[in-house]
Amino acid sequence: MSSADHAHADDGAVHAHVSPSLFYVAVFVGLLVLTGLTVGQSYVDLGKLNIILVILIASLKASLVVTFFMHLRWDNKFNALIFISCIFFIGVFFAYTMNDTDRRGELDPDQNVHILPKTGERAPGGRAAGEGHEGTGGTGGVGEHH
Amino acid sequence: MSSEAAASVHEAPEGAHGHDGHGHHGPKWLAHHFDTPAQQFDAAKLGMWAFLAQELLFFSGLFVAYGVYRSWYPETFRAASHQLNKEMGAFNTVVLLFSSFTAAMAVRSAQVGKQKATGNYLLATIACACGFLVVKYFEYSHKFHAGLLPGRFFHPHADHLVAGSPPLPETASSFFSIYFMTTGVHGVHVLIGIGVLIWIWLRNNRGEFSKEYFTAVDIAALYWHLVDLVWIYLFPLLYLV
Repeated sequence: MSSADHAHADDGAVHAHVSPSLFYVAVFVGLLVLTGLTVGQSYVDLGKLNIILVILIASLKASLVVTFFMHLRWDNKFNALIFISCIFFIGVFFAYTMNDTDRRGELDPDQNVHILPKTGERAPGGRAAGEGHEGTGGTGGVGEHH
Repeated sequence: MSSEAAASVHEAPEGAHGHDGHGHHGPKWLAHHFDTPAQQFDAAKLGMWAFLAQELLFFSGLFVAYGVYRSWYPETFRAASHQLNKEMGAFNTVVLLFSSFTAAMAVRSAQVGKQKATGNYLLATIACACGFLVVKYFEYSHKFHAGLLPGRFFHPHADHLVAGSPPLPETASSFFSIYFMTTGVHGVHVLIGIGVLIWIWLRNNRGEFSKEYFTAVDIAALYWHLVDLVWIYLFPLLYLV
């Protein structure tokens, strides 16, 4: 290989992507607009939609920061893989925990059955009415939080 | 990459006195165990991203706690969030976003070899970080005066609460536990970030960075962006319930 070739991609030097300053300004302005949006949205009651919008806007902002400020757009793809798998496992963490807390029954003292706090229906695995008080197990403890 | 290409690049200036026969003498900042600057740069970035992934997973525990408690006490969270100062939170959000922008600009300046601009952008980032903590101090002192403290220290004083806000149920102590834990751990990250950025600023002043070597600026900025990233979620979840 002649030394002339080394001036190109394979010369072992760092070839980082340099974005124009104006581009970073534009990303910053985008972040400000989204911040304004999320503050404005907090004055409007949209019921259950509120939390979904909040997460959506925050995630949009986070994507701007990660993709452009943190250079993942032009970075080694393996770094993006690390980041995305990290987000995936946070999702797993959330999904399993929320699924558990939302579906765990609590003890209804009048009926002596486990019911789902959100719907009032009988919880899966809960005791039928008339079964003994003892041995309701760990799930009964959750009721103390309410 | 062929080892032939790698070797020939680093036979550069000091190549003459090869000390262990690897023919491995690049610039001063190239660690001996790396073949090329690009390899060193990629390794540093990979290590940092692995660390950032760990940081995110660490913070996710606090966010999951938030999710669980909010699903248990939705009304409590709504009431307690009224005790937080939206304006201060929004101001701090803008401050952190701006500091992320200046951190990105510091990296860009380092990439194109503008030492003075890099230093100035780093200083701006440090100033914003300090400003963030000052605002946080005022917010925390209000919470302390009003007795809005975590767990068993929760004893709200009616006269210090935000006027016209909904009454606080007993369970609001869990909201403030989560508030102090998340913003506290985030605040510690801001403090560490200030330390790291000052260190990078000093190294920049010593002229350690160049177009060819700006890894440390890049890595420190990545850490700073993570601090911003966490706050992007904390602000609406705590202040704008």
